[in-house]
Amino acid sequence: MKFTHRLAVAAVVAAIAQSAGADTVKIGILAPFSGPFAMYGTQFKQAIEVYQAQNGTSVGGHDIELIYKDTGGPNPDVAKQLAQELLIKDGVKYLGGIVFTPNAMAVAPLINQSKTPTVLFNAATSVINAKSPFFVRTSMTLPQVSAPMADWAFAHGIKTVATAVTDYGPGIDAETAFTKEFTAKGGKVVDAIRMPIQTTDFGPFMQRIKTEAPNALFAFIPAGAPAFAFTKAYSDNGLKAAGIQALGTGDINDETTLEGLGDASIGIITSHHYSMAHDSAENKAFIAELQKLHPGAVSNFASIGAYDGIKVLYKMIETTGASGGEPAVKSVLGMSWVSPRGPVTIDPTNRTVTQNVYIRAITKGADGKLENKEIDTFPNVPDLGWAN
Amino acid sequence: MMRALFTLGPYAGLIAAAIAAYYLFPSNLGFVTTVVVAMIFVLSLDLVMGVAGISTLGHAALYGTGAYAAAIFATLVSADPLLGLAVGAGAGAAIAFVSGLFLMRAQGLTLLMLSIAVTEVLSSLANKYSGLTGGADGLSFTPGALFGRFEFDFYGQLGYIYAVCVFLVVFGMLRIVVASPFGLTARGIKESPARMRAIGTPVYWRLVSVYTFAGAIAGLAGALGAQSTALVSLNVYDFQRSAEAVIMLIIGGTGRLWGAVIGTIVFMTVHQVAASADPFNWLFVIGALVLAVVYIVPAGLLGLPEMVKKLTGGAR
Amino acid sequence: MTTILSILIDGIAYGMILFMISVGLSVTMGLMRVVNLAHGGFALLGGAFTHVAMASLGMPFLLAAPVAVLVVMVLSVPMERVLYRPIYKMGELPQVLATIGITFLMIASVNRWLGSSPLSIPLPAAMSGAMNIGFRTLPTQRIYVIAAGLIVIVGLYALIERTRFGITLRASVDHPGTAACLGIDTSRVFLLTFALGAGLAALGGILGAELLPITAYYPLHYMVLFLTVVAVGGMGSIMGSFVAALGLGILDTATRYLVPDFGTVFFYVAMILVLGFRPHGLLGKA
Repeated sequence: MKFTHRLAVAAVVAAIAQSAGADTVKIGILAPFSGPFAMYGTQFKQAIEVYQAQNGTSVGGHDIELIYKDTGGPNPDVAKQLAQELLIKDGVKYLGGIVFTPNAMAVAPLINQSKTPTVLFNAATSVINAKSPFFVRTSMTLPQVSAPMADWAFAHGIKTVATAVTDYGPGIDAETAFTKEFTAKGGKVVDAIRMPIQTTDFGPFMQRIKTEAPNALFAFIPAGAPAFAFTKAYSDNGLKAAGIQALGTGDINDETTLEGLGDASIGIITSHHYSMAHDSAENKAFIAELQKLHPGAVSNFASIGAYDGIKVLYKMIETTGASGGEPAVKSVLGMSWVSPRGPVTIDPTNRTVTQNVYIRAITKGADGKLENKEIDTFPNVPDLGWAN
Repeated sequence: MMRALFTLGPYAGLIAAAIAAYYLFPSNLGFVTTVVVAMIFVLSLDLVMGVAGISTLGHAALYGTGAYAAAIFATLVSADPLLGLAVGAGAGAAIAFVSGLFLMRAQGLTLLMLSIAVTEVLSSLANKYSGLTGGADGLSFTPGALFGRFEFDFYGQLGYIYAVCVFLVVFGMLRIVVASPFGLTARGIKESPARMRAIGTPVYWRLVSVYTFAGAIAGLAGALGAQSTALVSLNVYDFQRSAEAVIMLIIGGTGRLWGAVIGTIVFMTVHQVAASADPFNWLFVIGALVLAVVYIVPAGLLGLPEMVKKLTGGAR
Repeated sequence: MTTILSILIDGIAYGMILFMISVGLSVTMGLMRVVNLAHGGFALLGGAFTHVAMASLGMPFLLAAPVAVLVVMVLSVPMERVLYRPIYKMGELPQVLATIGITFLMIASVNRWLGSSPLSIPLPAAMSGAMNIGFRTLPTQRIYVIAAGLIVIVGLYALIERTRFGITLRASVDHPGTAACLGIDTSRVFLLTFALGAGLAALGGILGAELLPITAYYPLHYMVLFLTVVAVGGMGSIMGSFVAALGLGILDTATRYLVPDFGTVFFYVAMILVLGFRPHGLLGKA
């Protein structure tokens, strides 16, 4: 039963490939282009345009056609339906994008059946890659960036911490990884707060932490409006004056909201895999091209996930063209290159990029704007959350 | 003869349309299936809102509970899809009954707000008890083979046929219920609760039972939706799901089962086409569609023929 | 003890913001009997205009904010005439549908114009930072918000109880037919009230931006929150909105201090209880 099925899939796929002209390979991009998370879609699309401006719209004799589909927010039903449509109707051979864990989970059984290499530009729960051997991830996982933050904090005189994370999967991942590393070093977590997803006023949490008077607080809040409100609340409630250092993952101060945080946010320290202020020729070229195409645009972790993601997809297409499948995934395992974020390698075991994790402080840059200045580097950190 | 045609015609039409859709959109079956699931959900809303006059912005509470029940049942007990549907329907009815006990005492804005509150409470609980529900990551499961024989396939062909069959059964059942004394009292309550009370109808309990029955159908839709995605996550309780169902129903025309069917098809098709054409700005199109219906055909698209008749009649 | 005081003060500050955004909705819903889901849209527009005035035109906050409120009020006039007037006589559901449609268009426009990231509204130095209030510190901005909230409620009371417009407004709410017979131009009263409501929403949006950041999807995101305040307080009751906003603000804050892992459960259970016992809200009229 299953075997005939694959044959049928292969037949349809071949027919579509022929009718579409042998030289065009299609990539489907699933991302939120509308709704509260539309920032991701915008950053993805801009970064892909930059990559294509630098590297052309064809690779190895194959023209690349991109099809963008709007998944809105965390809507697994929509994501699955759109992926199905891309695979069956549009005949895409490769998928990219995907911001939310449930969306990735819903797509996993499909790509297992169709053997479609899928590059995750964002979705950051470790377990996703275990659901399908066709997932390759160019973003990060939360344990990957949270544990180095704990290391750094302990080495820099921070002995007590209160953690405050959004009460859902990624938040709990971040809390667990940070706490494990921090207590292993000998630090003490004095309070672990899980904040409801719908929280608007973060003041109460700040007051609670203030009375506990730890050396620092560690936070994970999803990027966008909530992270914005949280970071504002930290500045406005006088925690800094009370000597409580704010630590977090780079989600709380990503470049799309950074300028709005105001000067009160100077000194907040976060760990992440990319900063727009990263000092390298690759990053400068990337940003120059981005601002040429989209004046005033900024690049953040979502941009870099997409930029490197499309590079990985190009590499796959160069090797396997319209046939895709397992060989395409295989062709990028162990692949190493210097990205605008720094050196990266696709780990052959967990298929997530091994990369430098940077400790960054919000500072005022030379141009008078706020930036995430890299102050320390943890080189070549793998996905620390991988369990298999 | 005419009469038989009148009662059976719609079914023949529906079945023909379903078959046509299967052959016309062989590569869009995933989308067409979501439309069918949504139609069942909106039919349930029509029973509550259009027939019995209960206004709600929290129908997702019933859908979501059915979806979670079916998914949890599939992971813990049995992956049989039909059993899953039954469990979803049962859970939808149960939550509708419990919440209906206090919802049906309210009206107007109060009722709207209470129905939203019920959904929000359920959503918070689903997130809190993530050990059972999978929380924000979602709960994925593999629906078993239908009748133990037919596997759900990659193209969604079986999934589509399955959904259409469930839809036809629900639609047929609802037509009988709406025309039954039960349905007629519900309509009567919508027209005038006081009059119904005067002739001895236990209005409150009748409303609770309508809501419970609709809960079973919404729960069934949720279970079906969960099975076709093979995953349930917190978005089943989204306010947007409730609000969109209301939009679809009003676009089609409330109080008539065909309104639910047509409204859902029109809304979802427009959304699909607009979102594919411009993933960034499709909300303009939806906004315009919604306003056009309110200001031009307030009775919904089903009211269109009557309106045209009136206009041309007036011109004579 | 300190915790209780902290809950009270944070709760009141949060409640005051809820009050300012919701009171306009309560007044217009009480007067016009329209379930106006687009109310948050005016708060969004207020925030967006302030952001643009400050970021692109270089206006200082204290000028940009009133200008934005004014622009929103002016903009609301043609909207009332064209979009809202036809739906006054319709049922609840078409009203819900129409105002959702209007919300969608507002969101789509702001999204297209300014994108979907949070729009910053930097406050002047005197209003930002933290202030010591004895046993703890409080964001200075909250003190201004509490003051503004008090001014709004006193101002509204004076307007409604002490002015000629207030008399016509009350008459139009209580007995629209009789009011019209007595020569009150009810349609003008509606228009002015609508503009007032939109202006208050804009003001609340701007002052509340620290807690409820302005993004294109603001109206959908916080729609339920604002409607809750109105429903719990009672449609058309200013005092009701005030009590409900403070009560819900304090309750939500207390939950966050004491049992954060229960999320918004208590908030909505409280609403269910209040509406269960008082279907027309705390101070609403039947």
